[in-house]
Amino acid sequence: VQYEVEINGRIRQVAVSRSEGRITVTIDGRAFAVDPVRVDSQSWSLIVEGARGLREERGSQGQARVFDVTVTPDAVTGQLTVCVGATPVMVGVNGRRRRGASDDGAHAGGGPQKIVAPMPGKIVRVLARAGDAVAVRQPLVVVEAMKMENELRATRAGTVGEIHVREGQSVDAGTLLVVIQ
Amino acid sequence: VKKILIANRGEIAVRIIRACREMGISPVAVYSECDRAALHVRLADEAIAIGPSAPGESYLRIDRLIDAARAAHADAVHPGYGFLAENEDFADACSDAKLVFIGPTPAAIALMGSKTAARAVATRAGVPVVPGTGEPVPVGASDEDIARAAAEVGYPLLVKAVAGGGGKGMRTVAEASDLAHAVRAARSEAQTAFGDAAVYFERRLIRPRHIEVQLLGDTHGTVVPFVERECSIQRRHQKVVEETPSPVVSPDLRAAITGAAAAVARAAGYTNAGTIEFLLDASGAFYFLEMNTRLQVEHPITEMVTRSDLVRWQIRIARGERLDLDPRDALTPIGHAIECRIYAEDPDNNFLPSPGRILALRPPSGPGIRDDCGAVAGADVPIFYDPLVSKLIAWADDRPRAIARMQRALGEYLVAGIRTTVPFFRWLLDQPDFLEARFDTTYLDAVLAARGGRPFLEPSADVEDIAAMAAVLHTALASSTARPDAAPGDAGAKRWKAQARAEGLR
Repeated sequence: VQYEVEINGRIRQVAVSRSEGRITVTIDGRAFAVDPVRVDSQSWSLIVEGARGLREERGSQGQARVFDVTVTPDAVTGQLTVCVGATPVMVGVNGRRRRGASDDGAHAGGGPQKIVAPMPGKIVRVLARAGDAVAVRQPLVVVEAMKMENELRATRAGTVGEIHVREGQSVDAGTLLVVIQ
Repeated sequence: VKKILIANRGEIAVRIIRACREMGISPVAVYSECDRAALHVRLADEAIAIGPSAPGESYLRIDRLIDAARAAHADAVHPGYGFLAENEDFADACSDAKLVFIGPTPAAIALMGSKTAARAVATRAGVPVVPGTGEPVPVGASDEDIARAAAEVGYPLLVKAVAGGGGKGMRTVAEASDLAHAVRAARSEAQTAFGDAAVYFERRLIRPRHIEVQLLGDTHGTVVPFVERECSIQRRHQKVVEETPSPVVSPDLRAAITGAAAAVARAAGYTNAGTIEFLLDASGAFYFLEMNTRLQVEHPITEMVTRSDLVRWQIRIARGERLDLDPRDALTPIGHAIECRIYAEDPDNNFLPSPGRILALRPPSGPGIRDDCGAVAGADVPIFYDPLVSKLIAWADDRPRAIARMQRALGEYLVAGIRTTVPFFRWLLDQPDFLEARFDTTYLDAVLAARGGRPFLEPSADVEDIAAMAAVLHTALASSTARPDAAPGDAGAKRWKAQARAEGLR
């Protein structure tokens, strides 16, 4: 079975096979013998062999290296969060990409920029009106969540197109707030 | 005191429940709609609903809390921190209802709760205060009047909520052109957080450290200060790491600053637990900043190095008992303790709040580790309240070993489903300036700005490989579990999936 796995913008081809009672995971042509034991519905204990270099930074040169992993869905991005030990890694399997990469206007390239709510909360203030000229980093909307007010700023200079929210409104993560033309 | 109503939620409600249990006192929880299954409810003897999730309709409703205490036949109320902990009307309402309020008197709360009045008390006690406006800036003041008051204090300055605390309703203003916007923002936040929009101005000292002194006062006139806490690691005026003792406070300075704190507390007629905050400048001079008339978030580190139980003392003092601890013990730290505040915030996304469901949670434990946590796996971190999920505390014989122990514990701290500040702490506790204790209250904001949003945890290629492997194994086995007979054509794949599943379940 072949999977396309994206981590940090890089795609890996990952295959799983089994022969003579051993599971082998191949990542971009590098083979690892794995003993995976499910601990609970989302946690695994992996013992991995044949991975030269793995964990060298921790001084372990042994042949049977232990990894404790927990796999949970990420509500915001639709990817999986894989905690390797306590280190979280965002993983997209078979084309599940970060929604933010194309939709949240995080990069300041050309084209309309969409400002979306980065978390659920309440719109406390709307600081711009449709048609306003705005400078980069100018505050547009103030969202309150968990007792803190967070200013969402323009990611580029431009003209405010549409305002999709009003003061007092509750929003979910990912709700479109403002478009800058 | 046989039964205590805890007018709070989250980790501090759990902390107070634990003290109650150890004293044979029955704890009563209160909860808003979204907190029905919260840990503090599950651990209590009784629990009473007090309204909708918004704090203004539940945890801030004095009438409902008093009704709840009556309904439960509680004889005392512990307010925790935040919410109504520093609200003199609540303390008043408790005494009107013949409930013991576990905290200072309403008069002391009112006096020290007003930042401007508290500064006057400190001055009377002979303790220097940070230069600033003596009176609040009137709510109706014109922009011109505001600008004039600010010019008298001098730039850079801080706009601070008179009723404030925890960095809420506070703004830094570098120059006059930013003043009006900052005052409006601070007023709005102060109104939301404290129900009081009054603000005042305070000069911003150059590179100060934040040093604070925990103290206890009984109802017989005894005030005991504790060894200082170092709380200079702040992000936007919000403490994120605290430690005790301070790496820069000498025995002479300790004697002076704790003596000053006790003098202010005595001048205020203060009882129960409180904390006096100071700014310490590079020359070693210190200035009274404000008093917190409640138990502090960071009280555990003091407990760790003085082998005391501050919540237990709060209850004993409220019962009228005498503070019979040896004041020298309170000022003699045993070892070193550090606290990291684990917030539901995404450090890699400008620390935006990250509420949501905790899908997996495995807190660290082992020697010298204390985790004061209000959350459990499967529960939601609601959007309505403070993002503090847990306080991780490490104790060891000295500072380097406490840091090493904290790093070890952070490495064990598994949280999935929400983002937390754990990765940020793992980075911070590795910084040479932190390790050498070269920091002041401006340190963290400056280094964060200099990093420019680079991720705190950049997993190595090896860790990424393991993550890829785990995601694929999990996906393959999860789908085969869901639809055991519907696997696609490849019989071999079907067979290994079934076998792997069987092994996984063995």
